[in-house]
Amino acid sequence: MALAAALLVIMSLRRGDRAKSEPPKGDAATLITVPAASNQAEAEIVSFLATLQERGRLVDFLMEDITSYDDAQVGAAARVVHEGCKAALREQFEVRSVRDEDEGSIITVPAGYAADEYRLIGSIREAGPFSGTLVHRGWKTERVKLPRVLRVDPERLPTIAPAEVELK
Amino acid sequence: MSIRFSLGIDLGTTNSAIALTDLECDHTEVLEVTQIIGPNQIGEKTTLPSALYIPHPDEFPQNSFALPWDSGIGDSTIAGYFAREHGALVPDRLVTSAKSWLSNPHIDPRRPTLPWRSDIQEEKLSPLECSRRYLAYLKNAFLYAGRVRGRNWDLSDTGVVLTVPASFDAVAQSLTAEAAEAAGLGKVTLLEEPQAAFYAWLAQAGREWRSLISPGDIILVCDVGGGTADFSLIAVTDSNGALELERISVGEHILLGGDNMDLALAYTLQAKLEGEGKSIDSWQFLALVHAASKAKIALFDDPSLPEIPIAVPSRGSSLFARTVSSALDRAILELVLLDGFFAKTRISDLPQEARRAGLQEFGLPFAADPVISKHLARFLCRSRANLNGSQSLSALAERQSGPTEFVMPTAVLFNGGVFNSGPLRSRVLELLTSWNEGRPVRELQGSQRDLAVAKGASFYGRTRVTQKGIRIKAGAARSYYIGLESSMPAVPGFKPPIKALCVVPQGMQEGSELLIEGRDFGLLTGQPAEFRFYSSAVRSGDQPGQILPDAERELEETSLLEINLPPLPDFPAGQVIPVQINSVVTELGTLELWMKHMNSNRRWKVEFQVRTD
Repeated sequence: MALAAALLVIMSLRRGDRAKSEPPKGDAATLITVPAASNQAEAEIVSFLATLQERGRLVDFLMEDITSYDDAQVGAAARVVHEGCKAALREQFEVRSVRDEDEGSIITVPAGYAADEYRLIGSIREAGPFSGTLVHRGWKTERVKLPRVLRVDPERLPTIAPAEVELK
Repeated sequence: MSIRFSLGIDLGTTNSAIALTDLECDHTEVLEVTQIIGPNQIGEKTTLPSALYIPHPDEFPQNSFALPWDSGIGDSTIAGYFAREHGALVPDRLVTSAKSWLSNPHIDPRRPTLPWRSDIQEEKLSPLECSRRYLAYLKNAFLYAGRVRGRNWDLSDTGVVLTVPASFDAVAQSLTAEAAEAAGLGKVTLLEEPQAAFYAWLAQAGREWRSLISPGDIILVCDVGGGTADFSLIAVTDSNGALELERISVGEHILLGGDNMDLALAYTLQAKLEGEGKSIDSWQFLALVHAASKAKIALFDDPSLPEIPIAVPSRGSSLFARTVSSALDRAILELVLLDGFFAKTRISDLPQEARRAGLQEFGLPFAADPVISKHLARFLCRSRANLNGSQSLSALAERQSGPTEFVMPTAVLFNGGVFNSGPLRSRVLELLTSWNEGRPVRELQGSQRDLAVAKGASFYGRTRVTQKGIRIKAGAARSYYIGLESSMPAVPGFKPPIKALCVVPQGMQEGSELLIEGRDFGLLTGQPAEFRFYSSAVRSGDQPGQILPDAERELEETSLLEINLPPLPDFPAGQVIPVQINSVVTELGTLELWMKHMNSNRRWKVEFQVRTD
C-alpha cells in the first residue's frame, strides 16, 4: 500500500506542470491496483450471495422453516424473492436457454457438443448425432458482470447481510 | 490542442449520466459510471443517482468505500447507488435534489444547508458543493473508464457540454457553470435539457429527420423525469430553402415528476391495506413505493394484465410470517396516474396556486397542483403571451389556425423516465388533440429516454466542434432587468412601484454583448451597491434600455445583484464614478453583467447574491 501511495505522489508531481484547477484529491488517471487476497474467490462468491439477499431476500427465504406456512404465505414471500433476484440476475448475467425450441419437441444434439451443455438421458445406444425429445431447455449465460468486492479481508469473509439495528 | 472528444454530462435532479462522442470515428456511447453498489461492493451502472450520503464517522470501518481513483484523503461522503439505497434507511444523512436548490433564490447556494433540516453533527454541504461533488465524481468516472479501456481520454482534448433545465435562469446557470469549473472540468458549454433531448432525437433519426418534421411545425419537448417536469417549444421554419430550428419558449421549474406518481400509488395502496386491517411501518412503506413503481411499469407495458400482485416484506428475516400482500389493479393505476396526474382537463384549467399560509414551511417549492395537464396548459398559454411579444415570433404564431390564447404544438418529443410508458404518452397526445379541436398531434419517436439528454449533449458538442449538422437557434431564454430606485418623494403608506430596466433582451445570442446607453449609474468605491434583479420568460418584445413601470407585477424576481468597487488610485473615496451596464452572453451560454466606466474602458463584474427577505 505504501508503494502505491508513493507511486501516486510521483505521478501527481510529474503532472503538476499542467496548469489546471483540479482539486487536490486522488487522480483518476492513476489506477490503484490492490493485490488479490488469499480468499479473494470465496469473498467474491459470498458477495454474490449478499447481492441476492440484498435485492431479493434469498437467504431469508431459504433459512426459514417452510413447513408450518401455507401456500399463500409462501407464495407472497416467493414474489418478493422472485422480483429482487430476477432483477439482480438480469443485471449481472445474460441468461439464455441452451436450446430455443419448445420443451417436448424433437431436436438434434449437434456432434461434438460441449459436455456441460447437454445431458443425455434415457437409453443411449447408437452413434451420434443424437435425436430426441427436449425435456429441459437448459440455461447458459453470455456474460458475467458482478459487482466487485472493494476490500477483501484475508482473515474473514464478507457478511452476507448485516444485522440491522434501528436507532431513535 | 485540437478537440478529439465531446463529453456530454446530464447532471439530473434524480439521476445523472455521461456520454462520449469520439470525433474521429463519430461514435457516441453512454459511459457506465463506476460506483458503490453495496457495502463493500463496487460496480458499473448507466446512471449515477444524484444522491450523497454523509456517514457517521463510526458507521462504517475506515476506507470501506474506496473508489479506484481515491487516494484515501478527502471527504468520506458516498455518491450514487448505495448512497440512495442506504440513505433511504437513514434519511437524515441523505442529500437528494440538490440541483433544485440552485434555482431557489431564497437560499444561499453557498451555505451548507443540506441535508435539509437535518440535525447531524457532521459538516453539512451547500447546494453548490453538492453539484461540484457530482460533477467531480462524473469527471473521475469518465477518466477511470478511459484508463480501464486503455484509452487516453483526457480533459485537455475533450470538449464538455453540461445540461441545465431550460427553466434555470441566468443565476442558476451561472452557479452550475461555477460548480463545473470547481470540479476540474474547466469552462463547460451549457445546453438546455429539452434541446439536448431534441439533439438526441435528431441523431437517432439520422438522415430521415428532414422528412419527419417540416416548416410550420411547432415541437413540444415534454420532459418529465423523477422529480421535475420541463417543457420547451422548438419551431421549424424555412430559411431560403433550408430547414431551421429555433427554441421559442421555455417553461417554469416544476417540481413534479415520476417520484410523485410512485408516492401517490403507494399512499393509495397503503390506504387499501389499512382498510383490510393490515398495517405497515415506515420501512415497509419505502418497499411499497418501489413495488408500486415496478407494478406500474408492468401494467403499462402489458395492457392485458388486470392487476399486478404486490408483496411487501418486513425488514426482519422472517419473510413468510410478515410479508404483506396486496395488488395494484388497473383501475387504481388509471385513477391515480391517468386521471390524477394526467387528467383530461381543458386548456383553461390552470394550476392552483399554493395558498400562502402565515408561517410557511420553508423548503423546496414543490408544485402545489399535481395535475401535470394543468402545468402543460399554463405553459402553452404563457408561450402564446411570449410569441405575441415580438414581431418575428408572432409571425410563427399566426401560421396556426384555430386557438389564439395558447400555442398549439404540432408534434411532441417525450423525454424522461415517466414517458417510457406508452399509455402516458398516448394520454398526453389525447389531451393535446382535445385542445386542438380534435385534430391529432403526432409523436416524434424517442428512445432511451433516461439517457437522451446525456447523448444529446455529447452530439451538440460534436456539432459545435465540427461545425457540421444543424443547430437549434437559441439565444437567452429569458429577458433580464435591473430594479431602479424610484425618485418620487417618500409618502407614508404609499410604496411606489419599482421600475425595471431591461438589460438583456430575450433571444440575445451567445457570444454577444451590449452596452445600455442613456441610463447611467453612479458607484462609490469601497461601498457595495445592490440592485434588484428580475427576469421574464414571456416578454420577447422588450428591448435593452426599455423601462417597465412596475417590476413586481410583470416580472419574476430572482437574486440580488451586488457590486463592490475596490479602492481605485485615480478615484478618491466619496467621488461618484459614472458607469453603464454592459451585458454579455458568453460563447458558453452564461450571462455576465458588468458595470463599465463611461470614460475609460475599465469594467467591473456584478455578482449574483442571494435574497434574504
